[in-house]
Amino acid sequence: MSARGRGIPRYLRPMPKRVLGLPKIVWTIVVLIVLLGIVEGVAHSPAVTRFELVPIETMVRQAISLLGNGSFLKDALLHSSLMILVSFALASVVGILIALVMHAFGVVRRALNPFLSVYYSVPTFALYPIVVVIFGTGAVPIVITASAFAVISVTVKGLEGFDSVPVVIDKLGRSLELTGMKRVRTILLPAALPDVAAGLKLAFGYSIIAVLATEFILATQGLGWYISNEYDEFQIAGMYGAILIVAALALLANAGLGAVLRRFDWRRW
Amino acid sequence: MSVSNLGSGRAGRRHIMSARMLANTVLPPVALAVLVIAAWWVAADAAHSTVFPAPLESITSLFDNLRLTEFDSSVIATLELLAESYLAAVVVGAIIGVLIGISKFWTDAVSPIIYAANSLPKIVLFPVFLIFLGIGEPSRVAFAFVSGVMPMLLIVLEGAAAVKLVHLKLAASLNMSYPALIRKIVLPSMVPSLATGARLTFGLTFVGLLVVEMFAGTGGLGYELLHNVTLVRLQDILGDVVLIVVISLVPTFFLRWLEGRARARFGA
Repeated sequence: MSARGRGIPRYLRPMPKRVLGLPKIVWTIVVLIVLLGIVEGVAHSPAVTRFELVPIETMVRQAISLLGNGSFLKDALLHSSLMILVSFALASVVGILIALVMHAFGVVRRALNPFLSVYYSVPTFALYPIVVVIFGTGAVPIVITASAFAVISVTVKGLEGFDSVPVVIDKLGRSLELTGMKRVRTILLPAALPDVAAGLKLAFGYSIIAVLATEFILATQGLGWYISNEYDEFQIAGMYGAILIVAALALLANAGLGAVLRRFDWRRW
Repeated sequence: MSVSNLGSGRAGRRHIMSARMLANTVLPPVALAVLVIAAWWVAADAAHSTVFPAPLESITSLFDNLRLTEFDSSVIATLELLAESYLAAVVVGAIIGVLIGISKFWTDAVSPIIYAANSLPKIVLFPVFLIFLGIGEPSRVAFAFVSGVMPMLLIVLEGAAAVKLVHLKLAASLNMSYPALIRKIVLPSMVPSLATGARLTFGLTFVGLLVVEMFAGTGGLGYELLHNVTLVRLQDILGDVVLIVVISLVPTFFLRWLEGRARARFGA
């Protein structure tokens, strides 16, 4: 304890810039390296075989060779990306429409509200077997399940945004006789934009999770299917390579979309 | 006499008001639910399909299934695994969250990693669980635990910011010991976010468990669901879904009530 801080408990002192001479960001990297090091150590230890865990270098090499593999790109990567984008687009449009209708009609809002508030407590994936029976395996049940999983996050955030219109603006709109679509376009949507953007970001994450999960459970194409298939065929190195690609894809997509959506957030400046 | 009239008038109005409130808040959702079930019924009737069942068939098939010991053991297995993984996720998430959360520095240093890990579709990691823990129950519990513990941890970490500086100053001026600080200042301030975390974690743990049961295909409600897909027994699937909704909603209402109590008692 330094002389300056003596007597003042640590939790009251301003946050230190460095711990052991290292700033936060370096510690983040240190923790990450330690975690990867544990994986690497376990992979090289005699306790596990190459059928259980492969070293990180092998994972990366597998991932790179998969990215040069035409059938993987087409049947897995491209297919899943398409499913994710379609589900995301569908969830976004439907989610905002539901929010608009709920905002416009009090009865609809009161009718839907209790269901929305418990929506994410119920495992939506239970829906997947139903749509598979009705539509067969393929793109349709995956898109339905994934957009059903993602849509409510857009609705909830959109509604929050529509409710955030300042009273003054609403009055101005009324005195300018802005009604119907004009009011939606000039007042509601711009006011709600930051919240809608937050909802879209959530919905994108949900779409990725749902598409991969449904492909993983039951499908004939896609990244989720590819990973479960590699596991079934004991192609463990290839499986880890594909997992690495999924992880990189999810992180990049989330970061990229976050950066794009932040530009719509006019409340930040 | 006029006084008693006034009194009864007020009481009467209050009665009418509560009736109107009831009509406003309870009637629309109930009407919607009735409408959806009616539409399902009409559609099933109109389709005359052997595959697509009416609501009543689904419920009767659920009760028929509940009489089968095999089905019951699946349901019980799921409930047990859910309880184990959920409790572990809440307790571990809360403890680690509080321990990291009291240091702003370590919260900032570690949370990017947890956020990144949480944004991954964890399901693709399930084969790794299978490889190391086998296709039995341990891998399923472990996966459900991981699905729940990360969001719990993140919510608790965020909640740690709710500890008020003035309370910490009070603790310092009273020369409180570190354990007393945690017990008397930090934990009470974090009760609301712990309650929120406990509620949200339940749904996420259940989703994780159900998905891996569907994949692993060795038992549990998820297995029953997917098993019936190959048999094209939609009435059984819909019955299972009804059961899943009940299993998820009953604890959710309880946790919601608990969260309300926690907020009223400890909230800012």
